[in-house]
Amino acid sequence: MSNVVRAEAAGTRIEAGQLPATARKPRGGWGWRGTPYVFLAVPLVLLVVFTYLPVVNMFWYSLTSWDGLDKTKEFVGLDNYVAVFTRPELFRVFYVSLYYFAASFVQMALALYFATILSFSTRFRNLFKGILFFPYLINGVAIALIFVFFFKPDGTLDSILALFGAENLQQQWLGNPDINNISLASTSVWRYMGLNFVLFLGAIQSIPGQLYEAAELDGASRFQQFRYIIAPSIKPIIGLSFILAISGSLAVFEIPFIMTGGANGTATFVIQTVDMAFESLKVGLGSAMAVILLVIVLVVTWVQRKVVPEEKVNLT
Amino acid sequence: MFPHARRTRLLAVAAIASTVALTAACSGGGESAEANEDGTPSGDLLVLTWRTDLLEDGTFDEYAERFNEEYPDVDVEFEGLTDYEGEVRTRMNTDDYGDVLGVVGTVTPDQFPDFFEPLGDVEELETEYRFLRDKTFDGQAYGIPVVGNTQGIVYNKTVWEDAGITEPPTTPEDFVDALKAIKENDPEVVPLYTNYKDGWPLTQWEGHRGEITANPDYVNEMAQSDAPWTEGTDHYVIDSLLWDVVNQGLTEEDPTTTNWEESKSLLANGRIGSMVLGSWAIQQMQAAAEDAGTGADTIGYLPFPHQVDGTFYAAVGGDYNLAINKNSENKVAARAWIDWFNTESGYAEANGGLSPLKEGPTPDTLKDFEALGVEYLELTPAPAGKESLFADIDAESEVGTNTPDYRQRIVDAARGASGETKDQIFDDLNSEWAAGRAAVEG
Amino acid sequence: MSYVAKTAKYATLVLACLVTLLPISVIVMASLKTNQEFFTTGPFDAPGNWFNLENYVTAFTRGKMVQGFANTAFILLFSVAGTILIGTMAAYAIDRFEFRLKKTVIALFLLATLVPGVTTQVATFQIVNNLGLYNTRWAAIALFMGTDIVSIYIFVQFLRGIPKELDEAATLDGANHLTIYRRIILPLLKPAIATVVIIKGIAVYNEFYTPFLYMPGRDLGVISTSLFRFKGPFGGQWEVIAAGVIIVLIPTLLAFLALQKYIYNGFTSGATK
Repeated sequence: MSNVVRAEAAGTRIEAGQLPATARKPRGGWGWRGTPYVFLAVPLVLLVVFTYLPVVNMFWYSLTSWDGLDKTKEFVGLDNYVAVFTRPELFRVFYVSLYYFAASFVQMALALYFATILSFSTRFRNLFKGILFFPYLINGVAIALIFVFFFKPDGTLDSILALFGAENLQQQWLGNPDINNISLASTSVWRYMGLNFVLFLGAIQSIPGQLYEAAELDGASRFQQFRYIIAPSIKPIIGLSFILAISGSLAVFEIPFIMTGGANGTATFVIQTVDMAFESLKVGLGSAMAVILLVIVLVVTWVQRKVVPEEKVNLT
Repeated sequence: MFPHARRTRLLAVAAIASTVALTAACSGGGESAEANEDGTPSGDLLVLTWRTDLLEDGTFDEYAERFNEEYPDVDVEFEGLTDYEGEVRTRMNTDDYGDVLGVVGTVTPDQFPDFFEPLGDVEELETEYRFLRDKTFDGQAYGIPVVGNTQGIVYNKTVWEDAGITEPPTTPEDFVDALKAIKENDPEVVPLYTNYKDGWPLTQWEGHRGEITANPDYVNEMAQSDAPWTEGTDHYVIDSLLWDVVNQGLTEEDPTTTNWEESKSLLANGRIGSMVLGSWAIQQMQAAAEDAGTGADTIGYLPFPHQVDGTFYAAVGGDYNLAINKNSENKVAARAWIDWFNTESGYAEANGGLSPLKEGPTPDTLKDFEALGVEYLELTPAPAGKESLFADIDAESEVGTNTPDYRQRIVDAARGASGETKDQIFDDLNSEWAAGRAAVEG
Repeated sequence: MSYVAKTAKYATLVLACLVTLLPISVIVMASLKTNQEFFTTGPFDAPGNWFNLENYVTAFTRGKMVQGFANTAFILLFSVAGTILIGTMAAYAIDRFEFRLKKTVIALFLLATLVPGVTTQVATFQIVNNLGLYNTRWAAIALFMGTDIVSIYIFVQFLRGIPKELDEAATLDGANHLTIYRRIILPLLKPAIATVVIIKGIAVYNEFYTPFLYMPGRDLGVISTSLFRFKGPFGGQWEVIAAGVIIVLIPTLLAFLALQKYIYNGFTSGATK
């Protein structure tokens, strides 16, 4: 992409260079000042209707005991918020998020490892890159079904264990509440690792080759190259990924929703919210939960802006 | 001066107009004639159904054809929903929930008038129909059941006979012993299958409330009680039995991977010994047995293992009640469909349930019950003004007697997955219930 | 690099590929088995007939996959076209004009990227319903178009690289803003448009919850929801579910093979907003 941009820009600059330097836009009336608003009208309307209005309404619902069906909404103040923080079963979902948060470290470590080794010359490099990235593109429902099949009793995983004579390790991967969240979080790693990997790879490849050459001449080992050349230059993108991992692990939804329906201690924050609002007749409580999640995400992002200055993350 | 300025303004108008047009691009298909000039039903009719299986095999299309013989001008469309309760519940946040639908369990009686068309005075309708009281509010009926159900345990006779059980268990202990005998006889067979994963089958256990004490007022009394899970109460006995069978390893190994559709053929093939299900399921199991080549006679039906003075009691009540969407644009045809479906379609007989009509025939599927002299018990409706009390407490306390979660929790604890003990759960349920009551009573 | 290190490196790569491909290959095999076969063989046993396409036929016809593809295509076409139109318009206004509320507008767009869509669903649902879009394809289209800030971001980034002198030259020739936007900006944005088409296309094709929640109607199934509904009627028939999964996978695989380079670029430019 960046090459294309540069070529285009270079091409256009020559044309632009032929312009008389004195050329100036005539200043018009309403047309000039109104034009940007004209172009922004539709985007802004959609933005307000589908992003800001829901947020505002959500705040309002969260202060009521509305059930989504009644024609009236009764104002209850902060009761819903008190409930979320004082009822352990509602609070449990944060604990489930920890599994996914831990998994995102595994995911980043793997991505970093593969990005590093594939940034050096490797046979079949594109094939490996493609295979590792591909899961990220697969439809979530398909992934969920693939892994229900993978984890079910006498499914793929149990058969692999049997192949190696490790029948005693066979488990109820999705049924045992001690490990079902680990199974689900692993599925999530399988799905998203490819994206991290491609991002890291892009960052590593943007490091100028001369640096390596110089390092090679100085007799630096591969590990030293990684430590002194690669690591510093991908620090920003790792920082960014880390922050995304926090908000990502709170917003986990699809995989557990389709694979276990959130039963048996696998409900995540979003599943709980949706259940509350649409099925347990508690739109008010569900909205309060959503508001809390939103606040957490905003705080995390604010921290990120403070810790990782934006201009450092530039991949293209 | 700057002609383009005007054109940009035009563009702005056009852009905004297109957004409006987009948002106004209406649902379509909502058009339908109320009725013909002479009042006979006509137009489009959308029926939401939970019987996706009957939609798959074309039974519903046959119903529509037969309906059209009588009402040729109505175009009936069906929509089957897999997670009927959840999805319809969500759709009821909008006006778009079909013309005719089965009333979902989570709508409380005081909300009926907000969503459904009144079908008539309940006393009047009761000259013709039974099981109406459940979906009644303020003397008006809002739904008519398609079939009456009784409750029990569907089982594979061959499996039970092979294990040497010849008499129906009369106590929960007997029942557990019978399941143990099945397991000893063939460890490969699952003596009782919970269908945990699909969730709704677990709610079938709730149908037995009232039978244990043979008390038609049980539910109304529960709304007045602060500890419904106390030794001897219906809920205590029912949930204890569930606890015991799971706790003693008499259910499937991994409840989280059960599968409803599969369970039918597993029961028919003798891989499962029994399942706790309403009488509506008998006919489906028999069909599965026919398919499996074992014959419909392999499937039998037992009452809940508990007797009062030597008699089995089985609760009866309406299955899903058909109602008319208050926002329907074709209420005439909707009413015609409901009446036709209950009187002409033969759905109740075909599904082996009790006819919703007072004068309906007794189905073959329940001959087991007749042989055992099972007494049917119809629960008394709540007194006027308290129609929603039980439902409100149930929702407020978040016990959710009719939700899968409540019994999934018991199953999880009983198989040692959550670390809770039976008494902890019962205490917890009691305190939740009491808190819910306090909140509702204000 | 030492011989040992090299071996280790390739070993890990091969292992990673196995972990990626094995779960999928097993599904491929399962999809080619008959029901009887499926119950009597293990996941790694090859199907008796590698050309048994019966499950695919079942999945296609009884699983309403054709309808799913048609609906997905319809939504894809409108959402992507709408996203491009809206995104380029917004980017043009933001990058090429100075106006009083510019900072506010930019802040509005930036702030919106922080709101995870799935969290506001409770309230969005009511809005979609009040607009009369519930249970229509337009619900999904409007939501896909109205909440896509990433594409606006990509367009703005790209526009920055296109010199302003071009617009100014055209202005001298008497072109108005609409003409400039149509004749100059849009053609120059082609590479960015390609990127957005890819990112958006994949996102829409894979989206599950929006159609699941807003388009429950029987004839409105998209790819994801049709596949999701396999769990009901085909619950016991894993071989049919497997066929459904593969049917959904094939277009993704073809798109990936054909557009690899653009896809990588698209995601790297889209993810680091």
